[in-house]
Parts: sequence; structure tokens; C-alpha cells
Amino acid sequence: MKYLPSLPRKNDNVSHNHPLREFFLLLAGVVALVLAAYWSLGLFVDFAVERISPEREARLFSAAFSNGADKEDPPSDREAALQEIVDNLAPCIDITFPVRVGVQESEAANAAAFPGGRIVVFSGLLDKVKSENGLAFVLAHELGHYKNRDHLRLMGRGIVLVSLTAMVTGGNADIARVVAPARDVGQARYSQSRESKADRSALEALNCHYGHIGGATEFFEAMSAGRGGVDIGALHYFSSHPELKERIDALNDLAGAMGFSSGEVARIRFEREDAGAAEEGRPSGWRDQ
Amino acid sequence: MFVTNTEMVHGKTITACHGVVAGSTVRAKHAGRDIMAGLKNIFGGELKGYTELLGESRDQAITRMKAQAKQMGANAIVNVRFSTSSVAAGAAEIYVYGTAVTVE
Amino acid sequence: MENLINLGVFIILISCGYVFGKIAEKRHYKSIINRERKFLTLPAVSGKNPVGEVPPIRRAQLVQGSVVISVDYFKRMLAGLRNFFGGTVRSYETLLDRARREALLRLKESCPGARQIINLRIETSSISKGGKNRIGSVEILAYGTALYYDIGSPSA
Repeated sequence: MKYLPSLPRKNDNVSHNHPLREFFLLLAGVVALVLAAYWSLGLFVDFAVERISPEREARLFSAAFSNGADKEDPPSDREAALQEIVDNLAPCIDITFPVRVGVQESEAANAAAFPGGRIVVFSGLLDKVKSENGLAFVLAHELGHYKNRDHLRLMGRGIVLVSLTAMVTGGNADIARVVAPARDVGQARYSQSRESKADRSALEALNCHYGHIGGATEFFEAMSAGRGGVDIGALHYFSSHPELKERIDALNDLAGAMGFSSGEVARIRFEREDAGAAEEGRPSGWRDQ
Repeated sequence: MFVTNTEMVHGKTITACHGVVAGSTVRAKHAGRDIMAGLKNIFGGELKGYTELLGESRDQAITRMKAQAKQMGANAIVNVRFSTSSVAAGAAEIYVYGTAVTVE
Repeated sequence: MENLINLGVFIILISCGYVFGKIAEKRHYKSIINRERKFLTLPAVSGKNPVGEVPPIRRAQLVQGSVVISVDYFKRMLAGLRNFFGGTVRSYETLLDRARREALLRLKESCPGARQIINLRIETSSISKGGKNRIGSVEILAYGTALYYDIGSPSA
């Protein structure tokens, strides 16, 4: 036999289409699938949560989280004042289980609602919001979370989605780098929509209790005023709360649509002993003269 | 195109040899098959999905090898050997190689 | 914030992997084609029988050539995405093709003066398939018997 060597002109063992095109196609496919799975599973979780009443949610969680009713210290004056507001608002928001308010010393201007019926207000917030109506809005917003069973919703979604991601990606760390941000964006968008819903509930409760919605945007405006620096637009996609300006606009639009009117706001009154005020360095003009 | 894994094509004589030709392909299973395989891990039994997958890969690899032999002007491939390996997590590579010859 | 950083790192790694991987691959393929052209005169067959009529053989020797080539980040990511949907992992095909041809060339380079390689076999193995944060690389071993003819005898 003869030996007739040659080199093949075309390499059949490799594919000749462009890898970048394939990459973007696959990436888009994966992200779309994750978002679609998120959306459909979210519907399922919502359906399940609708079947659970706020009371049952509170009972479920109070087994695991205490609502502070068993705390030894008597409530401070600020806590008592805030508790009174919450108790007054509760019938307007249709909450029948006990919700307790606590105040935490902190520079942060924030309030949080914990599962089981405990709201914690950070003292930084009390420095920024001076009117009773403004504080009532913040508390009504937290109560709105209870009414909408937002804790259950977010927890349910979190569990379902993280398990799904783990099951599908297996041990593959590379693809997790792609799927995790997609999943987080989905969660963030949902969280933002729940916050808007809570804002809406709060506005309605304010109108129900006070007859007007004066002071509703006081907290957001106070927070916007203090904020400086660069705002990276992209970060808002991952943030759990909508942008401050967006929230203010939404509330104004809603007020217009529902026919709510603004009104006079009352300053919050905390009955305090003067000695206590001097100790904490608060201006002694805290109490209305 | 004759493809055998013996030294010669029986009944024919080899007139020219063109060198080694090879075909290879890398295939991955998709997420669904992964999940089914995970379940089978508990219950045991044949992983039909994988059998199909690897069978298709082998066919493709052989097709590629034949194409390369054709480019070189051969009409038969002798002494064909297979080699399977897993090169990436979740993907298997099939490599088939042989000597391209012209037979009459 | 952490998510954005993660994404940023991901994009940088992918671009580096793609750009540098592409450059390395092009260079390697050029070198492979050149050397293959040079070694066209040295036949390699996978059978037991040598090519054509051979003069008396002075020496038959086991020779081998091996190479380990690793994936770049872009290829890895593409394979990971492929794992989702299934199908041909095209990014790995070039890797393996290069590795095999390189191994065969190294085998031929290791036996200067040989006239034929018979009984060629090729073994593949993967080194730490590239799971969590580990390097994925593939090792190819090509081995066969090199035949040296008696000097002074007419060559085939």
C-alpha cells in the first residue's frame, strides 16, 4: 500500500459558530427562565398565603418570636405614646391581635416590624419625625405589613426560590454566579411592591383615623433632605425598598386619586420627666410649652 | 465508507493509507436529566436519558471522523477505537479514532 | 451592593477569559498546523501492521507524548450554561482538539529518526473537572510503537 498523507482543509471536530453569540443566547435564556420560575412560583406562594389570616400568621410566629410582652421593664414614655398610636390605628387597619411597640436607641432612622407582632422604632427616627401624624404613618406602614402577611410571603418565596436554584444548579458554582443576581433582583422587585402596598395601607389608615393625610410624607421628606452624595441608579434594582422620591410621588398620586385631603398635624407629645431629658442631652424644649 | 475495528476490511485489499483520523464531541446533559438522575441515585436502575445522550454523542463523533476521512480522500477507516471521558462537571466527551485507508 | 460587585467580578473574569483564551488558542492552532505539516512524512497508524512494505526493522520502541491544557473562565462559564439546557458543549471541543493534536505532535517529536508509528493509542483524563473554584483541565496521553529501520537498507 502507498502512504498518501494530507491535512484536512476544514476541521470537523470543532463548531465554527461564534462563542460570544452562544454565550449571550444561553445567558438570556437562563435569566429569563429564572425570572419566569420566580414569577410563577410567586403566584403559587401568594395563593397559599391568601389562605392564611393575619391572626394565624401571628400565632404561627409568636411561637418562635416573642412580642416583648414578657419584658420586665415597664414601657418608657415614648414607648407608651407610640403604643397608644398603634392601638388607635389597629381597628382602622383591621388588626385584631396584639402588637407591641418598643423603642431602640440608635442613630438609624428606621422602624421594623418583626414576625409575631413586635414593632421596633429606632430613636433616630423620633429625631427626624416630629409630628404625631408622621409617626402614625410610619407605624401604620408597619401594621400594613402585618395585615398583608408580608413576612410569610417573603419567607415563603425565599425558601422556594433558594431550593429551586440549589436543585437546578447543583454544585456548579459558576452558574450560581449568574442565577443568584437574577434571583435577587426578582426578590428585590417583589419586596418593593410589598413596601408600596404597605404605604398604601398606611395612607388609608391615616385617613381613616385622623380624617386627613397630613404628615404622611414627613418621614420620606426628612430622609431625602438629609441625603447627599452620588446615587447609583443600578443599585435600586437590588434594593428592598422603592426610591424615596418614588414613594412620595406614589403617595401624592394615591391621595389625589382617593380624594384624601391634607390637614393640620399635631406635634407628638411624650410626657417626660425633666431629669430624664437632661441626662440624655435632649433639648429641654422637647415638651411642648 | 467502511468502518471496522479490525486491521483490514475483510474481502478487500488496502491500497493506500492516509494517516490517523479522529472525531470527537462533548455533550452535556440538561438540568432535567440531572434531577432525574439524582432520583435514580436513590432507587437504582438504568439511566435511560444518559444512555440516549451518550449514544447520540457516539454517532456524532463517528460522523465527524468519517467526514475527516472523506476530506483526506479515504474510503474506509480501520482499527477504530473509542475513548470516553468526563472533562467537565456534567459533560462527557467521546473520542473515536482510526486509520483512514483506501480499499478496493 | 454585594450583588453588583459580584456581577462586576464576573464580567471582568469572563472578558479576560475570552480575550486571552482566544489569543492563546489562535497561537496554538497556528503552531499545531505548522508542525503537522512538517511531520506529514512520519506516518502514524492505529493498527498493528506497518504501512506498506518495510525493510528490516532495527528497533521498535514505545514512545509517548502528553499534554495538559486547561480551560479559561469563559469556556467554563459557557459549559456551565450549557449544562442547564443540554447539547453540544462547543467551547470544549476546540480545547480537546488542540490537546489531542498537540499530544500526537509531541509523540512524533520525541522520536527523531523514527520511520513509522504503529499501534497508536490515545488516552484522555480530566484533572479536577473544574468544580467549585478549581481548575478544570484535561490531560491527553498518546502512545505507540516507533519503528526504526536498519540503516543502509532501502526505505519503503
